[in-house]
Amino acid sequence: MSGHDRHERWGDDLAAYALGALEPAEATALEHHLDSCERCRAELRWLAPAVRSLADSVERQQPPPSLRTSLMAAVREDARRAEGETAAQRNWWPAWLRGGSGPRRLRLAAGVATVALAVAAVAGYEVGKDGSGEVGNATTLSTRQPNGITVKMVREGDGGTLRLAGVRQLPPGKVLEAWVRREGTVEAVPALFVPDRSGRASTTIADLSGVEAVMVTQEPRGGSTAPTSKPIVTMSVPQ
Amino acid sequence: MAVRREKAERLADEELMPLVGRKDPEAFEVLYDRHGGVAYSLAYRIVGERTAAEEVTQEAFISVWRSGARFDATRGSVRSWLLSVVRNRAIDFLRSKAGKAPKLTFDDDAVLAQQQAPEMTEEEALRRETADEVRGAIGKLPGEQSKVIQLAYFGGFSHSEIAEILGLPMGTVKGRMRLGLEKIRGELAEGFA
Repeated sequence: MSGHDRHERWGDDLAAYALGALEPAEATALEHHLDSCERCRAELRWLAPAVRSLADSVERQQPPPSLRTSLMAAVREDARRAEGETAAQRNWWPAWLRGGSGPRRLRLAAGVATVALAVAAVAGYEVGKDGSGEVGNATTLSTRQPNGITVKMVREGDGGTLRLAGVRQLPPGKVLEAWVRREGTVEAVPALFVPDRSGRASTTIADLSGVEAVMVTQEPRGGSTAPTSKPIVTMSVPQ
Repeated sequence: MAVRREKAERLADEELMPLVGRKDPEAFEVLYDRHGGVAYSLAYRIVGERTAAEEVTQEAFISVWRSGARFDATRGSVRSWLLSVVRNRAIDFLRSKAGKAPKLTFDDDAVLAQQQAPEMTEEEALRRETADEVRGAIGKLPGEQSKVIQLAYFGGFSHSEIAEILGLPMGTVKGRMRLGLEKIRGELAEGFA
């Protein structure tokens, strides 16, 4: 069977896969093939909007107002619970960072976080050293890291955008995750990101209020709840 | 810290997700107001009854609320992720009602991982297509192609189940799916070319 014929065979499977219509064993076999075949991955990417358009093609129905009411009630209750847990965690983190009496798993992770903070203190941004400027309501901070990565933080209002250049391609299964330190507490920035082919990467930090430092680490796909590797970027944020 | 509603309304979906990940109800509410209609419509198209459509839509949005922190913008848009979650839950609802084991799990992270990230400029352009234009593209398909695609996407049937229903060889079903999707894709591409 020629290479072209093999791709013809996968072509039919790709369409069924995109529609979620392959049997599980066939889907697994195709996913295995996709791992090593850019041509099929490209075809799947090309087909994806056609599948997505099917959802948009349905006749519009008006959802009942009660759906919004009950959904938002559940969400606000969950947010209140989460806020309570976060407050408890804020009280708990400093002890954790000092290597207190938490579980071993957490103390190990705390070690990594402490390293991150120490590096931040050494290599962090200093106002006026590398550059800063203001355009309109936006403030731009920039610095170059010892590993050659250029960091630019465009701060506007409460939030900001962190732009990196010169980032090496990531190992398979890794993503970039940003972290902020606020009152000695390290928090994950939820959106994960990856560099493009030219080594540029950016992410949005929605709330920079009270943030003292920003860090970026490589984490497994899906992200981590605490840094698991040495930061590739650390930047102090002047208040 | 929750952002104010007016501020959240100015943010793109992908900018709202970090806020949703931090349990911001205002950001989530904006997300629902933007996509709740199409999500409910899709659920209704699949399950065919209002109460079930409400249940499916609510479950899908709650899942997005709980897993929002893991949203990865490099793998596609918030809207397409959300609609994939709605579809999977609706199909699972149909299958459980029919007494079949759910074909799909409730692993919405897996949905996210399977998303095929399009070129973003193309995604933006395609998003501007109206529902009518999309329906037009699908309406132009030969009935035999439209039928297999609709059975798969809205019915949740596998290609071998469709082959059995229609009395066709499995290869024919897969071939029709491919031809149909390629034609829809071609029509969409013409729409923004």
